[in-house]
Amino acid sequence: MSAQRGTSGWLHCRLGAFELRLDWDLEPGSTLVLFGPSGSGKTTALRSMAGLLRPLAGRVDIGGRPVFDSASGVWVPAHRRQIGYLTQQYHLFPHLTLAKNIAYGLDARQGGNPGQRVEELLDAFRLRGLEDRYPWELSGGQQQRVALARALATQPRLLLLDEPFAALDAGLRRTLRQELRTTLSRSPIPVILVTHDREEALILGDEVQVMEDGNVVARGAPLEVLGQPGQASVANLVGIENLFRMTVDSRHPRDGTMRLSGIGAQAGLTLETPIDESPPSTTERQLVTVGIRASDIILASQEPVGSSARNRVLGTVARIEPRPPGFTVELDCGVPLLCHVTGASLDEMSIREGQQLWAVFKASSCFLVEDSTGSTQQESE
Amino acid sequence: MSWLSRAKPGTQGTLLGSTAGLLYVLFIGLPVIALLVRAFQQEDLWSAVTGDLALTALRLSIVTSVVSIAVVVVGGTPFAYLLARSDHWAARLVDSLVELPIVLPPVVAGVAMLMAFGRSGIIGGWLESSGIDISFTTTAVIFAQIFVAAPFYVRSARLGFQSVARDYEDVSQTLGVSPLLTFWRITIPLAAPALITGLGLSWARALSEFGATMMFAGNLMGETQTMPLAIMTAMETSRGLDSALALSALLLVVSVIALVALAFASRRRWSGRL
Repeated sequence: MSAQRGTSGWLHCRLGAFELRLDWDLEPGSTLVLFGPSGSGKTTALRSMAGLLRPLAGRVDIGGRPVFDSASGVWVPAHRRQIGYLTQQYHLFPHLTLAKNIAYGLDARQGGNPGQRVEELLDAFRLRGLEDRYPWELSGGQQQRVALARALATQPRLLLLDEPFAALDAGLRRTLRQELRTTLSRSPIPVILVTHDREEALILGDEVQVMEDGNVVARGAPLEVLGQPGQASVANLVGIENLFRMTVDSRHPRDGTMRLSGIGAQAGLTLETPIDESPPSTTERQLVTVGIRASDIILASQEPVGSSARNRVLGTVARIEPRPPGFTVELDCGVPLLCHVTGASLDEMSIREGQQLWAVFKASSCFLVEDSTGSTQQESE
Repeated sequence: MSWLSRAKPGTQGTLLGSTAGLLYVLFIGLPVIALLVRAFQQEDLWSAVTGDLALTALRLSIVTSVVSIAVVVVGGTPFAYLLARSDHWAARLVDSLVELPIVLPPVVAGVAMLMAFGRSGIIGGWLESSGIDISFTTTAVIFAQIFVAAPFYVRSARLGFQSVARDYEDVSQTLGVSPLLTFWRITIPLAAPALITGLGLSWARALSEFGATMMFAGNLMGETQTMPLAIMTAMETSRGLDSALALSALLLVVSVIALVALAFASRRRWSGRL
């Protein structure tokens, strides 16, 4: 009956000097990503929703029913909230076999047929044949599947996932992300997922809220918020590799672009970027911050001709660092410019330190970052 | 044995360690073996062991120590859990005092209990007027054993509960299991090795209790004369040493069997994987 409703609410928590403020409204079947660094309050938020922490104030509606409402004094304890909660380390019960772990929550409820439900989940999560294994006899990926099966066994009305891939190595992470996406997309249960991994947020989220120090600093569609973040703080949080402080030379409204040049020692660098939507009245040497993702830059050994890319910058390879599965190349163009390349490209172009390369990227790959503080942090570096 | 495959200490360290270890084993082992050898050299060992003095004392020792440990477990388990989980200043204070009976000389504990529950004790007089007599009864034996033995269980149990991550309990609750049931289905099983170890230590302490019992319960055969008291009493009779030997050997064998059984019971396949 209630599985067709989503979840909504707001929270205000205080833990010592730390304060957390959050609100959400989530459709059934969709996924909200709480994105932010550790210490930003993401786990606290999940624990409050689950009823494991008591917020100072707030309201939590799950499946159309309030489980917490500070205004009317409603408090439903964790074990009656019908929530699935995945911790970072999964916390499979070490004294129980795989099958008993999955059946754990079913045993607590009256009626139904726990045996049959466990059988279904063993098949759905490809755990057949491992029923009698203990948690430590399972691989990381299998442990995650067991934890998910255990959480879904009781048919929760809200699924809370705390860094579900943190305990796994990088290679496995990629595979399992797709797997989880498939699982979640098939279920009508609303999901709130906590992560500090940008790719995870992009792949799994329908909506993202960027958190910092207990506050939501940005929210919206994952691609908009995390792809080309409009705020300097958010850009730092999501790890935009290249951020430059530049001055506006000229605006070209007809093309929707403007030309920028570097400051001081970086005066040689010029870029073409999308035009700012609301140019200030004083156009004199206006300062802006430009962000470019390392993965949006193409490297070429010769100056590309007949290309539509508006930005071509010549530089010297200063450093090459592995960044599994590829590499990060640092190009010295007066300023350091970080570019991501695959191992194959690195080999084919035989990129080495000291080599001269062209960095090529579209004007639309550059995005203006709103410097909320108006500070000059980029200049001082 | 995993400790052998770890990084090896230097040759000198190994030599020093092994020598000290050997001396330690001899120091502890020699008296134990000597006790058994001497006891078995006796011709009438069997009659001494199955004699009235021995069996009465053994029965009393086992009954009182089992009752004591039952009380310690029933009361000590929730108490230890509270100590493990609470950050309240009062809990911290109590925690630091829990081990007081371990450092207190048992004789002092016995005197202290007399001052509390004895006829001239603080609440003893009131108890007596209500028809309750504690000192110099079997109840006093149990009181004395609980007093000295409880800290061993509470301490071990608290450490055991602290080793169980709260996340296990949290996950259990989100799966629809109430806090009380979670304690029973998750916390207790995961802390079981520490609980059983504490139980063993505590029981051994209760079984060997002498000083406080002597002071507070006296030495009445069949009522307050437990094995350690019987051994001392036997020493004072004519062929004293022989009886004492037999009783000591009996107590030793019973203790060793119980401790080995507990050690096996506390083993878990998932040890060290919390």
